[in-house]
Formats: sequence, C-alpha cells, structure tokens
Amino acid sequence: MTAFVHLHVHSHFSFMDGAASPGALLARAAAYGMGALALTDHQGLYGAIRFYRTALEAGIKPIVGAEVVVEAAGLEAAESIEGDLPPDLRLALSPPVGFGRAAGAGFHLTLLAKDVTGYRNLCRLLARTHVRTGDDPSVVTLADLEQCSEGLIGLSGCPCGEAGAAVLAGLGWRGERALRRLSRCFAPGDFYVELMHLMTPDSPRYVSALVALAERCGLPVVATNNVHYAERAHFRLHDVLASAGARTSLPGPYERSNAELFLKPAGEMRRLFADVPQACDATLEIAERCTLDLGLGSFHFPSADVPKGETAYSVLSKAAWHGLEQRYRPVTPEAVRRLQYELGVIQDLGFPEYFLTVKDIVDFAKRENIRCSGRGSAGDSIVTYVLGITDADPIAHDLLFERFLNPERRQMPDIDVDFDSRRRDEVIAYIYDRFGHDHVAMVATVNTMTARSAVRTAAKALGYSPDEVNSFSRYLPWVSSHRLPEVLATYPECRDHPLLKPEHALVVELATELDHTPMHLGTHLGGFIITREPIETWMPLQWAAKGVVVSQYDKDDIEALGLVKMDILGLRTHSAISDTVRMARERVGEDAVPEPFELPHDDPRVYATIAAADTVGMFQLESSGQRNLALRLKERDFEDIIAAISLFRPGPLEAEMIVPFIRRRHGLEPVIVPHPAMGEILRSSYGVIVYQEQVLQVAQAVAGFTLAEADSLRRAMTKGRSREAMEAIRVHFVERACGLGVERAVAEEVFRQLEGFAAYGFCKAHAACFAVVSYAAAWLKTYYPAEFAAAILNNEPMGFYSPRLVLDDVRRHNIDVLPPHINASSAEFTVERDGGAVRVGLGSLLDMTSRLLKVMEAERSVRPFADLVDFLKRTRAEEPAARSLIRVGALDGLGVTDAGRPPTRDEMLALLPELKAVIARQGVAGDDTLLIAPARARGPVDTGHVSGWTPAMRLSAELECLGLAITAHPLSLARADLERRGVTWAHDLPAREDRARIRVCGVRERAQTPRTRSGKRTCFLTMEDPTGLIDVVVFEDALNRYGDVIVKNRAYLVEGVLQNNCERGIALIADRIEPYTVRDEGRQLVRLRRGVGAGPLGPTLGGAGAEEIDEAKEAAREVPA
Amino acid sequence: MGRNRAIKAFDPRTSGQSLDLFTATDTRAPVIVELLKSPWIVRASELVPAVSGLAGKRREYEIEVVWDPSRGAPRSFTAEGRRHAVDAVVQSWAVERAWWDPRRRLSRRCYRVLTRGGLYDLAYDRIADRWLLVGIVD
Repeated sequence: MTAFVHLHVHSHFSFMDGAASPGALLARAAAYGMGALALTDHQGLYGAIRFYRTALEAGIKPIVGAEVVVEAAGLEAAESIEGDLPPDLRLALSPPVGFGRAAGAGFHLTLLAKDVTGYRNLCRLLARTHVRTGDDPSVVTLADLEQCSEGLIGLSGCPCGEAGAAVLAGLGWRGERALRRLSRCFAPGDFYVELMHLMTPDSPRYVSALVALAERCGLPVVATNNVHYAERAHFRLHDVLASAGARTSLPGPYERSNAELFLKPAGEMRRLFADVPQACDATLEIAERCTLDLGLGSFHFPSADVPKGETAYSVLSKAAWHGLEQRYRPVTPEAVRRLQYELGVIQDLGFPEYFLTVKDIVDFAKRENIRCSGRGSAGDSIVTYVLGITDADPIAHDLLFERFLNPERRQMPDIDVDFDSRRRDEVIAYIYDRFGHDHVAMVATVNTMTARSAVRTAAKALGYSPDEVNSFSRYLPWVSSHRLPEVLATYPECRDHPLLKPEHALVVELATELDHTPMHLGTHLGGFIITREPIETWMPLQWAAKGVVVSQYDKDDIEALGLVKMDILGLRTHSAISDTVRMARERVGEDAVPEPFELPHDDPRVYATIAAADTVGMFQLESSGQRNLALRLKERDFEDIIAAISLFRPGPLEAEMIVPFIRRRHGLEPVIVPHPAMGEILRSSYGVIVYQEQVLQVAQAVAGFTLAEADSLRRAMTKGRSREAMEAIRVHFVERACGLGVERAVAEEVFRQLEGFAAYGFCKAHAACFAVVSYAAAWLKTYYPAEFAAAILNNEPMGFYSPRLVLDDVRRHNIDVLPPHINASSAEFTVERDGGAVRVGLGSLLDMTSRLLKVMEAERSVRPFADLVDFLKRTRAEEPAARSLIRVGALDGLGVTDAGRPPTRDEMLALLPELKAVIARQGVAGDDTLLIAPARARGPVDTGHVSGWTPAMRLSAELECLGLAITAHPLSLARADLERRGVTWAHDLPAREDRARIRVCGVRERAQTPRTRSGKRTCFLTMEDPTGLIDVVVFEDALNRYGDVIVKNRAYLVEGVLQNNCERGIALIADRIEPYTVRDEGRQLVRLRRGVGAGPLGPTLGGAGAEEIDEAKEAAREVPA
Repeated sequence: MGRNRAIKAFDPRTSGQSLDLFTATDTRAPVIVELLKSPWIVRASELVPAVSGLAGKRREYEIEVVWDPSRGAPRSFTAEGRRHAVDAVVQSWAVERAWWDPRRRLSRRCYRVLTRGGLYDLAYDRIADRWLLVGIVD
C-alpha cells in the first residue's frame, strides 16, 4: 500500500497556530491524490463546516475532529497536579499557543468523529468543557471524555500529548500509564498511539519508544505529521503566528528546529515510517471507519408555541388573517388573494414554524413597547406585513413575494428585525427565557487580519518595539494585506511611510502573506441561533469576551447546517425616535405627538426638509452623498424616499443609475423603453431598472416567466456567470419572449438591459422598510428639531456625523446651544426654553463618573450648588471629573471671590487640589466654612467673559473634554483671517456659478475612498465650516499630491472648481489642499484633538456621488485652472 | 558496565521494539545501523551540544555528493580528495533556524551516513545550494 491520510491537521482556525486555510489544505491533499483528510484544530470545530463542505466539493472525504487539552491521565488521583510532582518527574507542558490558558494545564489529545454520534459527542464535549470551565482553562476531564467518547476515535497526541511528553522526558512508565488510562475512555479499537516523525535528531528515538509502549499496552499505532501549514514554504507564517499568539518574538514558543509540519505526500510519509508500515496503514483504516454525514440541506426549526389540536400552519394563518383585518381597512380582494398564495407557499416549503418564531419575538417587543422594524427582503411578504414584522405595505409599493421566498428554491428565509438598541437586551433575555438557555446561543464571527493587524502581527513577532509597531500601522488605509506593497508604493498618505525602508521589507512580505488569517472568534452583532434540541448537540459553544455563550460557528456555517438564525439587531435610530417622541410628549402633551411609524406619508413639510438636504441625523438620508442626491432629486413623495435609499448604494452607483434617473426625472432626456410593458413597470423609476423586483416583473411581462422563474433568472444573472452560461440564459429568455410574439430585436434589447442592471439593482422591500423609519425621523426633525437633535446626541455614536457636527447643525437651526452647567445639566442632552434650546449633557464629559452624575442630580434636587466648595463638599467629586467640569465651564459664574466677581476657571483649577485635600480632612459633617487662601492663579485672560478665558481657550477645552464645540464653530474664531484669504462659506456655495474657481475652508468630518467603476482612487471629503457642510471631491491626481495632508490634518484650505448644477449637485473638485491651523484673532491656537477626526481615509460609501466621477473629472478638466 | 548496560539490561523476551538486531547475517551494516538507531544507546556525538545541525566533531567544509534519487539519499561523497561510498543512511533530519535573520539563517537537510571510514554527518545547505560535511562521529 502506498496511500496515506493525514489525520492530525491544523488549519488557520487553530487561531494563531496554523497557517493554511482549510481550502488550501484540501487543494494540496487533492493534488497528492489523497482520498480523505482530517481537520483537527485546537479546542474546537471553528473551521469544520467550511472544511466539510469544501472537501465534499473537492471529492475528498472530510474527517472532522479536534485537538483538545485533556487532564493528566498517567498520574494517580493523589498526584493529579503536575506542579506537585518532584521536578524530575514533571512533564513539559505545551506552550500557550492556540489553546489559551488551557495550554499549560493539560496534555494534547486528538479526537476524530466516526459518525454523527461522534460529531454530536465531540460538540457536547467541547461545549461542556468551554462553558462549564468559565474563567478557568478549558481542560477536558477524563470523566467527560469517558461519557462523550461514543463515536469518537482518539489519537494519543503530539509530543505535547502525555505519552509523547513522557517519552521525551524519559519517563516511559508514565507514558504507559497514560496510554492505558486514555484507552479505557474509548471503545476497544478506538484509541491509537500517535507517531510523529518530525525530522529532528530525536524523532527516531521518539517514534521507536512510542511503538514499544504501544506494543506493551496492546494498542495500535498511527502515523501523523502534526500539519500546521500546507506547504513547507509557509513555515515562516506559522512561526510568526505562534510567536504573536504567545506574545513573544521569534523564534516563538515552540522554537521549532525545522519546517517539516507541512502536508507531506503519501510517499514521503511512508518513507519516514518505513519501519512501522502498519502506522501508515492505520490512517487508511481510520479514514475508512470515519463516515460522518452531517446531512446538510435540511432545515431544523425551533419548536413553536402550538396549542393542542392546532398545527404551526393553522396558528400562523389565523394570526395572518387577523392581521390582515387590522392592516387593510377595507380588506381588498388583492390582499386576500396575495395572503392566501403566500400562506400556501410557506406551508409547501415547511416554514410556518420559522414565521411563528419571528412573530413570537416581535410580539414580545410590541407588548413591551420596544420599538422594532423588520428589514430586508422580508418586506416583500404580505405575511410579515400583516403579522406586524415589517411596516411597508407590499401591495402599495409593488413588492414581490418571490424575491423573498422563491417557491422553486427551498432556501431558509431570513427575516432581520431591528430593535431599539437600548432595549435590545430585554428582547434577548426574552429569547433565552422563551426557548431555554440550552437552546439559544449567539452566532460567532471570525475576525481576520487586515493590512494593519497583519503588519502589527508580523512586526511584533519580529521583535520590533511597541513604538515601532505603532509607527508601522499608523496611517495605513483599511485594505486587505495582500494589497500592502501596492498601497505603500502608490497611496499618497503612505509617502515616507517607515515600512518603505528596505530594512523593514520582511514585515511587509510577511504581512502580505498573512492576508485574511483568522485572529480570534468574535461575537456577531445580533445573530442568535435557536434550536429545538439542546444546542450543544449541534455545535461546540464557548464563552465570548462579552460574557455571552457563543457558537463556534459563524452565520454561514449555521445556514449550512439548516438551523434558524435570527438577527436581533440594535438600531440606535429606534432609540432616538423613541427618545424624541418621549421628550416631545413631555413638552407638548401625550396626545399631541402621534406615533411616527403610523403617520400617513403625505406631509409636504417633511419632503421639503429632505429636499433641502437638511437631513443631518435622518436615518439613511444623512450621508453627504444622500444630501447631494436630495438636492438633485427633490423628494416629493414616499416613493422618492425609497428611490433615494436605493440609488445611493454600491450596485446602483456602479451601474451609474443616478444620472439617467435624475435627467429623466427633470425631463432633460426622454424615457425610452424597448417594450411597452417595461414602460408601465418602470414608470416610478423613469425607465431605469433600479429595483430587483423590477427585474422579476420585466421577465414576467416580456418573456412570460413565472415570478419564481424570474427570481431564479435574476439570481443566475447576479452571480458571476461565465460568458457561456450567460449566453444560455439569453437564448432561453429571447426564445420565451419570441414565443409570446415579441420581436427578436426587442427581446434582445430587453435582455441586454436586464443583464446590465440585474446584478446592480437594489431590493426595493429593504429600501421600503428603511423608508418608513426615514420618514419617521424626517417628520420628527421637521416638527421637533430640538428634541430630535437631543435624542440623536444622547444615542451617539450613531449615524454618519460626529456629535460636534450634530450640535453645529442644531445651532444652524436657530436653536440655542446652552453650555453644560452643574445646576442645569443632567447626564443627557435636554431641551429647554420650550424647544428653543438644547442643554449640553455631562454624560460624555472626560473623566466623568456615573456615581458623580447620580449624586449631582440627587443633591441638586435639594438645592442648587452655590459654588465650587459647595459642589465639592456635597458631591465629593473626583478631582479629574471636577477638573473637566471646571474646564468646560460647568461652574462658571458660581461664587464670588475677593475681587467681587465669580472666580475664573484658572482660579478654580488652581484651588481645586487644595480644596479637595481640605474637604477630605474635614469630612462631610457640618457646613463649616472653609478658609482657604486665595489661589495663586493668573488673572482673567479675557475680562469680557465670566470664565476669564478667551474663546479659543474655551473652545479647546470643550473639544478636549466633550468633543463638542459649544462656544462657537472652531472656524468662526478665525473668520477674519479666512475672509482675508478669500474663502467662500458653505451657505454661499449654491449661489456661486457652476465651474467657478473658489477656495473654501473647513474642518474634516469624513474622508472616504469608495470603490469606483474606473478603479481609480477618489477621495470624498466632507468638511464643515460655521455655515454648513462642504463636499469636496479629490480625484486621483490631486489625491496623489495631497493625500498625506488629508490624512495627517484636521482642518484644510481647499481650492478648486465648483460643480453646481442640477445633474451633479454641489461639490468642489479640489486641485489644491493645504492644512489650516485654527487660531483666533489673538493668534491663540484652537486645538482640535477630540471632536474632529483625522487618520486614514475610510473605505465606505459617501461623498458627492461616486457614479459621476469620470464625468465630473472630464467636466473639471475643461475649466481653465 | 559502561554504556552497554542498556543493551545488557534489555530483555528481548518482553514485547519491545522488534529489531532484526541479532538475526541479520548477511552484512554488518544493518546491525550497525539498527544499533545506531536504537533509542537506548547514547551516542558519543550527542554528548556534544547539538546546535545548528552539527554533531560530533565540529568540522564543516564543502564536499561533493553523488545523489541517489531512488533512495532519496546520498550515494557517495568526496571529502578532501577521498571518495566515500555510503553503505547506509542511519538517520536524516532537517534544520531550519533564524530564517528572519539573514546573518544567522540556517536551512539544511542533514544525513548521518555510514561508510567504511566511519559515521559522517552530511548536510545540504538549501540557501547556498551546496553540500557540507558537518560532523564526523567516529
């Protein structure tokens, strides 16, 4: 026999201790013609499902297993702890890589699942070990191993296994005892002594000693190679990962002496074990015995609450018909037909339990007044609408059920629901109570390396100092690390980057190879798995850093297993809307403010607000790109909001849908469609295929497809098909259309358009669900702007803009911004003067404590604070918090000094340490007057203000302590200087001519470089000056010159050509950018450190409209500089 | 007793490693090879701290090696003008050290071979693409 199967294989899911992806390992095994391959990652099955699926696709038999840490088996109970033994009897324990703290607490053991029983036992064993041990190292006990060993094959482990370690330590007796004890945990014939010939000078001795032990114990032997990388060349990555994982520098914790842990071909393995061929034969025999079938492709729903005598379907349909009466008044025949049809499909596909599960959770939220809304393609269904899961009427908005659930494809439906993020925990607690703690777990995510983390990992392993590591990762953009060399060579912000020095080339080389290597398991934002059987029979579980039990599988794995995953997402907009409604009702009365989700969508004032791009804080409509679009689109009705949300998405942007949409809307170009049916279907989008639902309708109308067939067609067109596959789809479409009497040329043209847009269209149901929330936000901003702004600020971080900008926006709406004050501010932002002012809250103040906030509120309700002494005595405020309060002016104007005026901030700051000391000595008893010598502080710098500080000083302190500009916008202090420099203010831009050459100044709000169709890099820079927002487009040539200026500064002077027309909106095409240092008229510096961003350019979407880049660039070129 | 103590103490009747140690009659080589491979023998060469793939006497110079592709091992080598035919490969191991430091880096595949003249450690240096004699054990 010459074949061999690797049974001890680590992928990169042995976090920081494996350098190959499961795919790479399988590809190598396939290249060697191996019929099977095992995956045995450390302490878990993190990569097992994707390995299993890829292996089946590659025609290789997958063997699922894990390498666990098990307690010592070769010791008597009395001497059970290694550390209690005399030093010469102790064994070397494994280094702390991949296993966390379990590494040094036990010995390695390799487990392989023979069948489903074995798989379930392995999951149970891992789940029990991880979950039960809690904060202790996750070490498998022999008792658990005995209980859960059915269906499992055990291998005695690597040199860090007890037998191996004993042999290396020359303690054969202990190895023998361990082997005998471990073998008793497994069924006879299911435990093997694992031999590894790792090509070290010790290896032959190690192997022969273990063979001898095996024979003595009557156990079979099996050969493995402890594979940690697919190819020899990748040993460097393994060393780097292991070093970084153990927080040491190279050579790392293993101090491996060679590079032999790769997936060796069968011949090489056989040569190594020429003396013990039975060890290689055993690999084949084990592979033969492992016949795990996970039965992927079937669905497993949690148990729904079904009364006796009912079925899940009957309960669902009763609830749906009841809901129909509530939602449709009067009930229309169309709604009845549609509901009947959808219920039938849901029943045919076997999904009623899934809908009932979602309804159960949503019903709970509604009962408890927790704001929630469904999103995504679920909005296409009338069932979800009548059950109250989604809020957009699918009939009114032409939403198609088949886009959500295709009767032709039995795919797990996915209903995502957003909940008020502040009360999401209540929903989660309900899910645990309702379905049982043993049946619910959170979905994991695998955090992988990007360029920055890869550089940091490589540099740490290579022994660079923390300062050097920081200097390497600073200013690196958010890109994949395989792009690192290109990015360093071409990106302007990387000019003079330390990684460009030849002596650091190895860091770049290694980081590039580390691309997408998993680092650790994270927790999905809101994904929950709910199962009918105990969840530990489905997947291993463990504690996440957040203190919740999390699955070892990510969402794709869960989906592959056919389990129900519910996304319980927290949406801060819901919290903000709830807060706004609460504050507004407190001010104007309970009945005066309607429920914003139930409003008719017909208020012209709301649309006027949106069309004026006054959208800061509005869900989905606030980004700079959306504001630019609003100025061109001029929203008039709810369909326009849906269109706006859909158009400013990567797909529609890439397909350049916005320009024809806008031009046709304004009558600048005619609407021409190849087929009359398309005119009707595409009426709302002026002949442009914006929505995925429209693709279905067109295919139905022109080629006679059923909607289910049409959805399959759309999916086929969306995925990257080969030219031949697309041609086959085209022929099929055209033939069907011609069969219906459509002219061939027309059919061809319709297909060409579908082909061009199908992949880029946006799901209208998703946009419609969002639009309901957007409209509610817009309505609240229109009618209750102060409450809305306060609610937004109280729920930060949220949305597109910084709190500083939101506060500036408040000021621009003629609402006063009241400074924080110990006698007036609470933790949160509040509304005063009947909606005319917003009072800054103290919750986000630097160094503020929740204890102090509580005490302040309690004491203030007794009587206001008289001065600093009174405040300190009554609240015992911590010194750093008191210092911040003084610096932001929360004590301005309190008390009187000998000079007959309130103390200045400098005086209070000077007095503070002494006061604190005296108060500490005195205790709190009595109202003794403190006699303290006047502090030696400088006099008022600015006698015009009670604080004694100049505006620049006040502003710097506000930005530093609160991240907000309360006194004024930073640039308003430099107004005279900027006007001298000929700067145009943001609110004057609409009045300037298209293609005028102008200069603007602003502080940075956002800088983004989204993907563009041309592949070129363009930066969309959103800046703000005292009068509003300025959108700046920096094309590649300007970006190459000024990229580092953008990245390394926070305020800029930008010169360029103004673009101001209804097609493209208002934006400045920059050709010169210089940093601007903000100083007030007294030349005093304003420090923008907190509150104004700096750093790398963001990758996400934004800016003035990515789709017009090429055109705008041409336009800009035509203007003489 | 000396170092043969382990051999003398070894009880061939119990189930230990199956060796053809005392049954081989055709040549001396297999016996010697097995002896050298035996786990219970401490070799003189290992009394020298084994670092950087060196063992035994610390000598290191370039040699010429004739490769035997069928065995995947050297067939003979020429050192200091003298040709040595390899009777058996006793052991082989690989060394990969300090790859991150070009000055200290070592990447070798070592073979301990038995010739009529004694036991030699040969190493193929992957970086320099050359063969070295890195140790003479006896």
